[in-house]
Amino acid sequence: MSKTWHGADRANYIWYPKIDYSKCTGCGLCLLSCGNDVFRWSDQKGVPVVANPGSCVMGCTTCAKLCPEDAISFPDDPKNFLKQVIIKEKVFFAVKKELKDRLDKYPDHRVSIEDVEAWKKAEKGDANARRS
Amino acid sequence: MPGEAKPDFSKWHGMDRATIQWGPVIDESKCVGCGLCVIQCSEKRNVFGYDEEKRKAVVLNPENCMVGCNNCQVACLWDAISFPDVSGVKSLAKELVDSGKSKEELEGRLKKNPNLRLQLPPRFFKRASLEIVRPSRTVRILP
Ligand code: SF4
Ligand code: SF4
Ligand code: SF4
Ligand code: SF4
Repeated sequence: MSKTWHGADRANYIWYPKIDYSKCTGCGLCLLSCGNDVFRWSDQKGVPVVANPGSCVMGCTTCAKLCPEDAISFPDDPKNFLKQVIIKEKVFFAVKKELKDRLDKYPDHRVSIEDVEAWKKAEKGDANARRS
Repeated sequence: MPGEAKPDFSKWHGMDRATIQWGPVIDESKCVGCGLCVIQCSEKRNVFGYDEEKRKAVVLNPENCMVGCNNCQVACLWDAISFPDVSGVKSLAKELVDSGKSKEELEGRLKKNPNLRLQLPPRFFKRASLEIVRPSRTVRILP
């Protein structure tokens, strides 16, 4: 079965990094940063290769943001791209269910904003107390 | 899961994560509570919590946020999520390269996982940019 993005078929969309080899210095940061197994390494040239484009996360540009040479580009502006997918695929039906599943699985993420703010304040207080 | 070790995000390529300015901030007045950011974030990092009564997302574990990622911000149609300027992490990335740290880590990674190495014909690199994709499918090139 092919991958889906909140119900949308991943295979219907083009989203993956493209490396400009005239800029790439082969530092390897992109390969090291991607958690989705998109890159392979070419020993002959000492550069990364986009080998699993379909595994790239829709709208992600993490590797491009970290690339010191700005050698990585994407087919579209990420926000613009995802917006079109979200609207076209009406993903919010799936999102609602996935949100519930996530909160059921990790019940301590079902929170009240006041509590979270109180915790954060207490944590800050602790840190200040430790400092003084 | 009980008994399962929690992943450790306290270091980023040897740097102390707590010293790195990178993570989402939600403008509650703009958030409509659609929930997309919550599930955009991986279960492993699980940065967000959710207030069902108020119908709003809330940043719960900012220290788990992956340096350089902003997938939640990109997905928010209501522009309720902001991040620090990317120039900060870009200069940290440069430091990793200049200090030789990234090369060292890369060598370690390739040694540990030799399947990451590819043999490709020279013509592959003739074009400055490369496209090996058929849109409908993931193409796996393995040695
Ligand atoms: S991060 Fe940029 S410069 Fe470094 S290997 Fe990847 S594409 Fe090349
Ligand atoms: S955009 Fe994200 S998922 Fe895609 S290759 Fe880069 S780091 Fe990996
Ligand atoms: S995606 Fe935006 S609007 Fe939706 S819950 Fe998250 S912050 Fe709120
Ligand atoms: S930027 Fe990525 S890792 Fe950080 S909170 Fe958003 S989705 Fe999660």
